[in-house]
Amino acid sequence: MKYGRIYFEDVQVGDALPPLVKGPIQQIQLTRYAGASLDFNPIHQDDEFARAAGMGGVFAHGMLSMGFVAQALTDWAGAGSVRKVGVRFAGLVRLKDTVTCTGRVIAKSEKDDLRLVELEVWAENQKGAKVITGKATLALPSRL
Amino acid sequence: MAIVLNKAIVGKEYPPFPVTVERGRIKDFARALGDLNPFYIDDAVGAASPWGSVIAPPTFAVSFRGDGADSSALLRDLGIDISRVLHGEQEFEIHRQLVPGETYLCRTKVVDIYEKAGRSGPMAFVVRETAVTDRTGEIAVTMRQVTVVRL
Repeated sequence: MKYGRIYFEDVQVGDALPPLVKGPIQQIQLTRYAGASLDFNPIHQDDEFARAAGMGGVFAHGMLSMGFVAQALTDWAGAGSVRKVGVRFAGLVRLKDTVTCTGRVIAKSEKDDLRLVELEVWAENQKGAKVITGKATLALPSRL
Repeated sequence: MAIVLNKAIVGKEYPPFPVTVERGRIKDFARALGDLNPFYIDDAVGAASPWGSVIAPPTFAVSFRGDGADSSALLRDLGIDISRVLHGEQEFEIHRQLVPGETYLCRTKVVDIYEKAGRSGPMAFVVRETAVTDRTGEIAVTMRQVTVVRL
């Protein structure tokens, strides 16, 4: 379901975040993301620079993959639902890589007027190597 | 030869900087991610939404950069070159949605620096926090960023 809207009562601990597959990553997307995020670190644009820095060539902004993870969350739960998202960048995403973002519900809670769902989230490349691990908290509407 | 970081900058607060969010920048950011959610890019959908306008994707505030308070300033303070740094961790706490036309004030400070042995040698972790407040002074977004320095 694209651009979904889910309710607090419909989510159970253990539910999977529907996977979002992004890529293959192309240089033009890294250039476009640099312009949109104002992160012009040449390590994401200039292969020679990235090699000289000991990185073995250009790789994607970690924030691009984090943006993909955020999209997986909002595609499922709706725009504006993310209260908190925190990640560790566990591996590099290279040109031509595919990034699959997914997760799992680990807790539900109610605090004041907010109905919160906590997820473990991660992203991995086409070889199954984790490139992002983290957690997110969503605020969901109630059916009640 | 190992690099010695200037740890005296722990606690340093960078000059606050304002950012006025433009509608087009939100859309460019969403499109750069390949995220075509109508709440980010469709003005009619935004106008009919609870926010009354399009909103920014959750990670948009990473584009809030101020001269004198950005990564270049941090690198100058640390005394290192950009080729040595990697993005280690990032967190966003979203208290209210970022919307076009609003002017936000961003305050960044260095909250910690610690060192650890990494797989490929010694590394330092520089933790910065940025508070983004709206024009009423209410907190909109808190960002926490860990920069990894290969020493």
